[in-house]
Amino acid sequence: MSPQLARTISAPDAPAPRFSTEGAKAAGLRLVRPVRSRARKAPFVVVVLTILSVGLVGLIIMSTILQAQSFEAQKLNSQSAELETQRQLLSREVDKLQSPANVARRAIQYGMVPNTNPAFLRLSDGEVLGKPEAAKPGKTNIRSVTP
Amino acid sequence: MSKTVSRRRLRVCLAMVVGVFGVFGVRLFQIQGLDASAYAAKAIEDGTAKSTIPAPRGAILDRNGAELATSVDGLTLTADPKMTAPYAPQIARILSEKLGDRIDYFDTIDKLRTPDSRFVYLVRDVPAWTAKKALKAIAEADMTGVFSEKETLRTYPGGKLAANLVGYVNGAGKGVAGIEQQYDKTLTGTDGASTYEIDPNTGVRIPMADSTVTKMVPGRDVTTTIDRDLQWYADQRLADAVRESSSDWGLAITMDTKTCQIVQMSQAPTFNADDDSGMVDSNTVSRAVQNVYEPGSVMKTITMAALADQGKIASDTPIVVPSGMEIDNFHIGDYWKHGVINLTAAGVIAKSSNLGTIVAAQQMSNSTMYGYFRKFGFGQMSGANLPGESDGILKNGKEWTKANHATISFGQGVSVTALQMVRAVGAIANAGKMCEPSVVSSTRDADGTETKVPAKPSKRVVSKDAAATVTRMMEAVTAPDGTAPAAAIKGYRVAGKTGTAWRVDPATGRYIRGQNTVSFMGFAPADNPRFLTYIVLDKPYSNAGGGSTAAPVFHDIMSMALERFGVAPTGSKSPKVKQTW
Repeated sequence: MSPQLARTISAPDAPAPRFSTEGAKAAGLRLVRPVRSRARKAPFVVVVLTILSVGLVGLIIMSTILQAQSFEAQKLNSQSAELETQRQLLSREVDKLQSPANVARRAIQYGMVPNTNPAFLRLSDGEVLGKPEAAKPGKTNIRSVTP
Repeated sequence: MSKTVSRRRLRVCLAMVVGVFGVFGVRLFQIQGLDASAYAAKAIEDGTAKSTIPAPRGAILDRNGAELATSVDGLTLTADPKMTAPYAPQIARILSEKLGDRIDYFDTIDKLRTPDSRFVYLVRDVPAWTAKKALKAIAEADMTGVFSEKETLRTYPGGKLAANLVGYVNGAGKGVAGIEQQYDKTLTGTDGASTYEIDPNTGVRIPMADSTVTKMVPGRDVTTTIDRDLQWYADQRLADAVRESSSDWGLAITMDTKTCQIVQMSQAPTFNADDDSGMVDSNTVSRAVQNVYEPGSVMKTITMAALADQGKIASDTPIVVPSGMEIDNFHIGDYWKHGVINLTAAGVIAKSSNLGTIVAAQQMSNSTMYGYFRKFGFGQMSGANLPGESDGILKNGKEWTKANHATISFGQGVSVTALQMVRAVGAIANAGKMCEPSVVSSTRDADGTETKVPAKPSKRVVSKDAAATVTRMMEAVTAPDGTAPAAAIKGYRVAGKTGTAWRVDPATGRYIRGQNTVSFMGFAPADNPRFLTYIVLDKPYSNAGGGSTAAPVFHDIMSMALERFGVAPTGSKSPKVKQTW
């Protein structure tokens, strides 16, 4: 055994080897001094903790926002239902007002009568087609609107 | 000593721990091994919510897109009598104030106090806007126990307008009459469904959690061929006429002869499905297609068309009309007393002579005449595609007696529906070509994509000349010396025919003396027909006739149709046709 090898083996911070150096030698292996880490542990812990806490806080914020949005969505849904009801009510009122029965009732109130003597004015030459006759409330025409 | 104690204590503790874990293990085995599926199902049930997205029913529109039937949100109000019993009168008062006629005050109090019950229906199918007002008022009065369920409510903005054609839906929202029934599949959409995860405790939806959605497909809109304004005018005019003539019922139908589209179809009396008034069988039956009756003299136009098509008659063909006839021990006369008179074929139509028609029709054999009547569509449905349509009654020509041949020629002993009659005379107006009347022109999906309902091809039933000959005869009817001068429209050429038929008693199958079905069928302008209008009044006062009672209604409705659709008079004059020789 060479003295150099013996020194290596007996290095103070390496445990005493119990294996056969012969075998290691045969495999081309030799013992080396372990690399001493100079990195400090504290920054690593801080980074990990920061990431964790940012993640956690982010998650809480996101979940709170989503929850709030879900409530908001629910509120908007009911508002939209309310508005839809209102739209239906208004469109029904419009329908009623512009229904032929309503228009006729109003027209009769103003003293108007339906014209049952159709006549046309041809714009190209100004000719009157048909026999125009003033409409008058007759026995056979509509005088009132049955509801 | 102390060593023994601590060892024993250790053993006891160990036993306890093992015991507790043992219990846990058994429970775990029960949950995971034995009842696993039941618990899993319960967890899914608690953690998910299902909701149906009801597909709105399509609307029924007039030819210009005005709504005849549409769907709105409705609510059904329910109550928990256990909660409402103490202040039943207050709640009932609020409800009857807000809901009006829909609810009975005393009935509602009884319902709100139903003993031993936690659920009652108070009122169904109230428009959401009305029901919400009532619920709000109840909440403001600090009372609880009234709840609501969502419904889809069918409304008819026009009320009675075209009610028998549009039809109505039953409590389950299914069409049970008219277009609502015939196009039920088209109008009904496919309900959507969604399932999503919720918090079992609060019921609030869990954001971004799994959800499944089945798409909702709204029902298709159905566009009819009806013109809403003309329809309203005809409804009103007919209702007035039915009332003034004390008729049992009346019908008015107007068809565009070029396209065979029905632009107006009125019936009186009728019903209002919007407020559920008048919902009795005699009002809800669609008489235009379901009611069979004997048409009377309007049928003479068909007999004449058949003869003219065979070249056996022209408008000036001389006919010797006897004073009366005995056929198979059956006496037949005209509505006015006369001796033997000489009328032309046009005169027979203009004066509506039964005897003249029989004499002319005797040139045809049973089978020829039956063949023509079948070609004109009698005994077969009108093809309008409406529910419950009747075929009418036309006995096979092989079984005709002499009396059958004679009476059928002037429209007795044959039963028709009004729409069959409209289709048949429509062929004369359309130069001999007959098409099937249609009431629906297209359907439309929610995106606005239209699908046209294809028009069936028209078929020739008589020659163009034959149709022109009969039209000329029919023009004589509205002439000052015809049977219906009241049908004439100033400036226009109008062809028409009156009908006054004996009514058959449905119970005995015999004619009832003094009871008639009066009618008027006509088209204008006679030289280039655009519209055909048919008026029927059943059982008017005893001396009413087609010319005096139905013709004025025809005049008003036809005038309105010509005016609304901008059909100007052609400017030509009616040819003078000799009525006697």
